[in-house]
Amino acid sequence: MAEIFIDNKRFEYDQPTKVLQFILDQGLDLPHFCYHPALSIPANCRQCYVEAGLPVFDREKNAYELDANGDRVIRWFPKLQTACSLDATDGMVIKTHVTSELVRRGQKDVLEFILINHPLDCPICDQAGECPLQEQTYKYGPEGSRFEHKKVHKPKRIQLGPRVVLDAERCINCTRCVRFTQEISKTHQLTIVQRGDNNYPMTAPGHVFDDPYSMNTVDICPVGALTASDFRFKARVWEMASTPSIDLTNGKGCSVDLWTRDNLVLRITPRFNPAVNGHWMPDSGRAAFATLNHDRVDKPLVRLDGEAIPTSWNNALLTFTERVTAANRIAVVGSPHASTEDNYVFKRFFEAAGKGAAVFVPHVIPGSGDGFLLSDDQAPNATGARLLGLAETQAAALAAEVTAADLVVVLNDDLVGRGVLRAEDLAGKTITFASNHNATTAAADLVVPVTNGAEHVGTYVNVDGRAQRTIPAKETSRTDRRLNLEMSSGRLDTFGTRFDNWVSDLNRIDCVPAWEFLTEASQELGTGLYYESARDVLAEIAARIDAFAGISYERMDDERGIALLATNETVSA
Amino acid sequence: MATYVFTAEQLAQIEAIKSRYPSVQSATMPVLWLAQDAFGHVDADVQQLVADTLGLPASHVHGVATFYTQYYKEKKGKHVLDVCTCLSCHISGGYDMLHHLENRLGIKAGETTPDGLFTIQSVECLGACGYAPMMQITNDVFVNELTPEKLDQVIDTLKKGGSPDFEPIGLVNNRETA
Amino acid sequence: MSFDWKTYQPLLIPNIPGLADIKVYEQHGGYVQYKKVLGDQTTWTPEAVTNEVKSSGLRGRGGAGFNTGLKWSFMPKPDGGPRYIAANGDESEPGTFKDRTIFEFNPHSFIEGALIAAYAMRITAVYVYIRGEYRSWIRMMEKAIADAYAAGHIGKNIHGSGFSTDMYVHSGAGAYICGEESSLMESLEGKRGYPRVKPPFPAQRGLWGRPTTINNIETLANVPLILRIGAEAYSQIGAKTHPGPLLYGISGHVNKPGVYEFPSGMPIETLIHEVCGGVKGGKKVKAVIPGGSSTPPLRGDQLAGVCMDSDSLRTAGSMLGTAGMVVMDEDTDLVDVLTRIAHFYHHESCGQCTPCREGTGWLEKTLKKIRRGDGTPRDLELLLDICTQMEGRTICALADAAAWPVRYTITRFREDFEARVKTPVHAHA
Repeated sequence: MAEIFIDNKRFEYDQPTKVLQFILDQGLDLPHFCYHPALSIPANCRQCYVEAGLPVFDREKNAYELDANGDRVIRWFPKLQTACSLDATDGMVIKTHVTSELVRRGQKDVLEFILINHPLDCPICDQAGECPLQEQTYKYGPEGSRFEHKKVHKPKRIQLGPRVVLDAERCINCTRCVRFTQEISKTHQLTIVQRGDNNYPMTAPGHVFDDPYSMNTVDICPVGALTASDFRFKARVWEMASTPSIDLTNGKGCSVDLWTRDNLVLRITPRFNPAVNGHWMPDSGRAAFATLNHDRVDKPLVRLDGEAIPTSWNNALLTFTERVTAANRIAVVGSPHASTEDNYVFKRFFEAAGKGAAVFVPHVIPGSGDGFLLSDDQAPNATGARLLGLAETQAAALAAEVTAADLVVVLNDDLVGRGVLRAEDLAGKTITFASNHNATTAAADLVVPVTNGAEHVGTYVNVDGRAQRTIPAKETSRTDRRLNLEMSSGRLDTFGTRFDNWVSDLNRIDCVPAWEFLTEASQELGTGLYYESARDVLAEIAARIDAFAGISYERMDDERGIALLATNETVSA
Repeated sequence: MATYVFTAEQLAQIEAIKSRYPSVQSATMPVLWLAQDAFGHVDADVQQLVADTLGLPASHVHGVATFYTQYYKEKKGKHVLDVCTCLSCHISGGYDMLHHLENRLGIKAGETTPDGLFTIQSVECLGACGYAPMMQITNDVFVNELTPEKLDQVIDTLKKGGSPDFEPIGLVNNRETA
Repeated sequence: MSFDWKTYQPLLIPNIPGLADIKVYEQHGGYVQYKKVLGDQTTWTPEAVTNEVKSSGLRGRGGAGFNTGLKWSFMPKPDGGPRYIAANGDESEPGTFKDRTIFEFNPHSFIEGALIAAYAMRITAVYVYIRGEYRSWIRMMEKAIADAYAAGHIGKNIHGSGFSTDMYVHSGAGAYICGEESSLMESLEGKRGYPRVKPPFPAQRGLWGRPTTINNIETLANVPLILRIGAEAYSQIGAKTHPGPLLYGISGHVNKPGVYEFPSGMPIETLIHEVCGGVKGGKKVKAVIPGGSSTPPLRGDQLAGVCMDSDSLRTAGSMLGTAGMVVMDEDTDLVDVLTRIAHFYHHESCGQCTPCREGTGWLEKTLKKIRRGDGTPRDLELLLDICTQMEGRTICALADAAAWPVRYTITRFREDFEARVKTPVHAHA
């Protein structure tokens, strides 16, 4: 075990490491901009200066040379070192800003340099509040500027691509974005152009930054140079709450954060998960924020004379139970898009009612995956449905089943929209649970509005067999974050009041988790299913189904998801 | 939009260039030079041609082209007069020569005459400090020890379609006078 | 120095007409040293050649002045893969214009030296990086290399020795930074010239990730001479700690500017007043930049006894650099000169590291303000502060090269600057 001394404290390490990463791993602070753990190390921002020294080794005595006090004699590097590029070596001594005036001066000097040509437009900059430059200037920067000249002007408001906007004047040339397209997404769409203080990142002339992962550059941009087209000027970050969740638009199930304000999801950003997505996520998953808010089924709908009419929950429940009771043959269609909890209760409900076995149709578009963070599978939970024992079926078989049935019940899956069934297959005999309006809800007689991943607790098992879960980020008409312990809450949720002018009930959707509606229906029918919460459902799944043995929300949170498929475990030699 | 293509002969030269290096990327600069010699500049379309020909990302070629000052990222005059105004040329009257050219041609440094014949640029040290003030013509021949009269002669020569000769500087240690 | 410069016979660029022609070069003993080494590889093992160069005391002529043989010895043992020399002919530091005389007058001395170096380090290819502005000289070098190939000095199994190597010219395209060795390698790899973080050093991971040594053109041109006269004799030429013949590029306000070859350690005053025929118009010397624009200027009244070798110049408060000396007469406006130098470094900063990218521009803008007459005494302190914030804080030495002239011009010619900055009104209150 090698040792390293940081600000007079001794640490041990066994793997080769860079000093900056080691310091960050200890939970200590060292300001930096260009360094990113997943990218190459250019050491260009020069912010992570430290003083570094090595003990003098006396070969003859085979021991470290000691001074009069019995302390090791340290030979210091003559210049400040960038910790990001400095390899830790045994016995190394590091002084950071905590103990070194020289380092404090060095860090302050760099910040002064960075700021001389920076627009200082924080009040209108989207990055403000989550800006490493702003934070580090506040903590380590100079108090004022001695720069009394015109700043360098560069292109502003450049639409680099469909989803990313560039303000080159804010850029500090850390090259994270360029390195991302070279090393991670490998599209090589960005480069630094020009030279010296005219440098800025750009595409080749006439080229569009349409990298399917382009918005990751917005995340890693340490300033407001790259911003997201669909999020610009929408919200200050301190007005939002962020909730850990997962991307439900693809089978990969990237770990994400949902950023909400006033019960609207305003953006989705990746959350670090080495077992799934590292630091990144595809742009397509981020676009889902809109479907989490808009085009929602709000209140149950019944079709009368061809028209969908809002109705009461009571009426919806009675209609549902009557239709199920009356039906002789029901096509019970579960969903790879629905949570494990919903699929489980859905399946159990119809088993208990003696009305047939649930099936599901995988949502796979062959060739659409990229071998990185997009799989061919478009649904987040096909694996979960499979492990629960829902029978996998395909379009033709399902169409035959639907034709033969006198009632079709669909669990939140736009089968018409994705070409599995035709609207006429469903006409006059369909009940669907749905969170958004779509071609399937348009064909249904009864639409039961259900929560989406931003509103419920739910477990989803990705294409690699990893179970992860969502945490509610948005209130529905029937939930309240002050009462519901499953819900996340942000600073304003906690400290604000109902009377704050940003609070509005307009954005609360009247919907419930499918398992909750089905529990009530089971009570109505007397078939014996009863669950208080999604936790209850998951506990039963864990107890009854081997593949889910030992699973819990706490484990999923602590372990960043749980690998359920033993085949995906790799044993290293 | 102009379309540019390399001739078969140029493509053969490019293959020869590529064979000198263990990576294709290394051919970026020589091929940009070849393209500039062929087309007079390496504007966005030429950069794209170079990228396509070498199978390299267009952004890479663009980043390289904009880093190096000798590549013309836009069309320039037929003759580009690069007047050195750095250090030794500066203290030896480099700016006077630049201003003489500006007056003579009626344009400022960085501009091109309306007839497209001349572009004037003020450039950094060209490595001819002992023969200051001096200028380089269109990335090629050096004209040393400039005087207003010599500049006028050079302009006249260029206008007549001629080109100043390479000026040998005389062997070191044997030099008589400046 | 009891040395008569008038009778000195140049060794690097002898006064032989037509020497650039390979035939003439060979008639005058050219490629003999190279063949001697290849022909007797038991005596002249690669290590023996390296040791000979090391003990000659030859130091790099590109500015840093590192012992050349020692640098060669850093190359790891051959592993069967490619190994490279990048010969640095970027020569872009203002005041420096010496290597082009080698290209023009004695290209084969460089080629022979590079080939001997290639043998000593088991190099598989030599890339000669020449600044793009030297197009005329690039043509000369391309011809000389083609001739050397035709004569069988380069290629496969050279002269039946079993040694093979290649040599190519790579043209720069206008970027001072590419004279920095790691930036030069990036440029050779076809990229933007961004200096690399060290370690790893070029001998470990250089061009295309392989062991590489970067040597200046003039440095390599000295190698045949060392083998011809022997390391011992070579080490006796000129200054003890920085021996050998040296190309002095002298420009500015002297009567006979140009490149001169003399032993190292020539007294600056001899070079100005005798070799170069004195200052134009019989004026006094105000300042001398001894080794390219980044080396600290010396005052005209500071020159007595100062010689062009690294020790003497260090004592005097400057550096030998590239021995590209710029002489400025008593009428020179040093505020103007320094502003122009600052412009150069601002223009040439690659923009990678923050202190250099931002600091070079700040220096220039502040100096322009002073030149306009809008400066204040505080601006002088600010300039020195900016220098402190740049020096030693970047990946390569360009930030230092930009800061030193500012620091030392201001501290050594402070009266010129103070005369230009306004004194705030309240200072007299």
